[in-house]
Amino acid sequence: MVDVQFLGLLNATLQAATLLFIASLGELITEKSGILNLGVEGMISIGAVTGFMTAVNTNNIFLAIVVGILSSSIFASLHAIVTVILKQDQTVSGLILTILGLAVSSLLGKNYVGRKLETKIDSLFTIENPSNVLEVFLSQNIIFYLAIIFTITISYILKNTMFGTRFQAVGEDSKAADSMGLNVSKTQFIATCIGGAFAGLSGVYLTLSYVPYWTDNMTAGRGWIALALVIFGGWKPYRTALGALLFGFLEALVPRLQTYGFELNPYIVKITPYIITILVLVMLTIYKGGKTGAPKNIGIPFFRENR
Amino acid sequence: MNKYILTKRQVVNELSTFYSFLLGFLIALMIGSIILLIQDKNPFDTFSLMFKLSIGSVNSLSSSLNKATPLILAGLGIAIINTVKLWNIGAEGQIFMGAIAVNLIYINFQLTNSTSFIFVLLVSAFIGGAFCILIPAITKVLFGVNEIITTLLTNYIVIGLTIYLVNGPWKDPGSLNFPAAAYVGKEVYLPTIFGKLSYGFLICILFTVFAHYLKNSSVFGYEMRIAGGSEMTAIYAGINAKQKAFFAMLIGGGFAGLAGGVELLSQTHRVSTGISQGFGYTAIIVAAITGMRPIGIFLVGSLFGALSIGGSVIQTIGVSTYIADIIQASTLFGALVIQFFFNYKLKRADDG
Repeated sequence: MVDVQFLGLLNATLQAATLLFIASLGELITEKSGILNLGVEGMISIGAVTGFMTAVNTNNIFLAIVVGILSSSIFASLHAIVTVILKQDQTVSGLILTILGLAVSSLLGKNYVGRKLETKIDSLFTIENPSNVLEVFLSQNIIFYLAIIFTITISYILKNTMFGTRFQAVGEDSKAADSMGLNVSKTQFIATCIGGAFAGLSGVYLTLSYVPYWTDNMTAGRGWIALALVIFGGWKPYRTALGALLFGFLEALVPRLQTYGFELNPYIVKITPYIITILVLVMLTIYKGGKTGAPKNIGIPFFRENR
Repeated sequence: MNKYILTKRQVVNELSTFYSFLLGFLIALMIGSIILLIQDKNPFDTFSLMFKLSIGSVNSLSSSLNKATPLILAGLGIAIINTVKLWNIGAEGQIFMGAIAVNLIYINFQLTNSTSFIFVLLVSAFIGGAFCILIPAITKVLFGVNEIITTLLTNYIVIGLTIYLVNGPWKDPGSLNFPAAAYVGKEVYLPTIFGKLSYGFLICILFTVFAHYLKNSSVFGYEMRIAGGSEMTAIYAGINAKQKAFFAMLIGGGFAGLAGGVELLSQTHRVSTGISQGFGYTAIIVAAITGMRPIGIFLVGSLFGALSIGGSVIQTIGVSTYIADIIQASTLFGALVIQFFFNYKLKRADDG
């Protein structure tokens, strides 16, 4: 017999990790193309609210997922227009995307606060009370498995295909990529929208499965932790996944510490994930001594000189 | 086929930031109107009501300027830190920390002379804000840890700390439904100049002038600009870039902390989660929209203060307060779009 508490912890870890991981994988793709998008928090929020609204009104989960992904992706295209086409500052634009995203989703969702969902995202197998590790894994919902498939495919594409190499060339040295005949702006635009789509999926997972309701600011900084995870993972999908598991574990563990006999103030417990994120980020930066593995052109607008 | 190519303009209009802001604001008002139309509200009536209730009378005008005070102070702090090309996304947390510092000093020390006590409390607010950015500043200059993420995450930590304090050690038993610390005594309230206008606004004017001087005319400002430029230039000029960055961050954090202190002593009079309603985030918009210019921050901050007051009063006719937030954020987006046309021009490819 495996400890029931342990299984609960494992289950919560996987769920929290999925949420963080999908958003950070999207950001990884965007950053690989040389575009920094600090708007993850806002994009997750847009996906979360539009997905939730669709699910409440239509009871169609599939449609809700599609709507959440599309709306976040369209929202991210704002960042693409401002930074890729109009060559404006990526930091400013990304921050505004977060502020605007949170405000717009609060406006959209104000009549949906407290509404109940009729349906949730389906699990792969319906297992009422998982009794072993395998059953915990099998009881995860489809988005968890999608995340695994994404990791494998994206890592493979980036490492082993011509397309992946070209894609990364855009983020490493856009001038060289341009002279090789690659369309830098188009690549960056699409990569930003894909980043938005992933954030949207993560948002949909948040409101349709992880905590099935909607309130204002419910993303609670997860978008920023996702950004930290990309740095943590050194812009590599598998390491980012590992980071997400670690943070998912912490998010799951901290509220459970009491059951393991630790007396903790619940208000202090709530802020530990943020403290740990900072600690990990600091330790990692020291350990790597400044060599982070970031795409070299990140944050620099590509401007083809007049020829 | 006509192909257009993009060229950078050699000379950019000096007032381009100002024009971009004006046009951006118009774009934002249009976006706001569309949202209002969707909600079956007349945009013209709504905006004129917002206008009337935010600057139409002495009382409403002073409320608007009181609201602008924390925005401006925090925005100035962001601008000072940006002189060394670093970002402070943690103004929200620093505002809370400033208020926490005020209350901490208030409940532990008592001065009989209330004027000097207020002064001490405001200084502690400044130190509180600087303390709040200490970890991001140290880790940035020593190890190069991304300050955008560390300052942002401190917001969640400090707001969490505030919730802990007002539900635990500082909980006022009198505040039943809304957890808050006890009110500070009337003797440390910031007095009003006229109407409702608090002396906080005067502090705000003084610090705008100070920030303008610090950034543009002082030796430290000059050194900060060099430190924020190329590493080699700083080495040739014999400037310790890391030291300048460190102090710029602490001063900028202090400005935001002061905003929290002023807010507590002039408006809320107690520590609660209501100390700031996203002032630290709006301050980022204010600072970015003006190209980090202190005088501009003062003017745009005042306008946005009025917008927030207007936004909160139109709730009574059933319009969401988020409309003000959306107008503020859209203004910056619009301004970024317009700025593009000042910096670049499109040329037909077949011309050259």
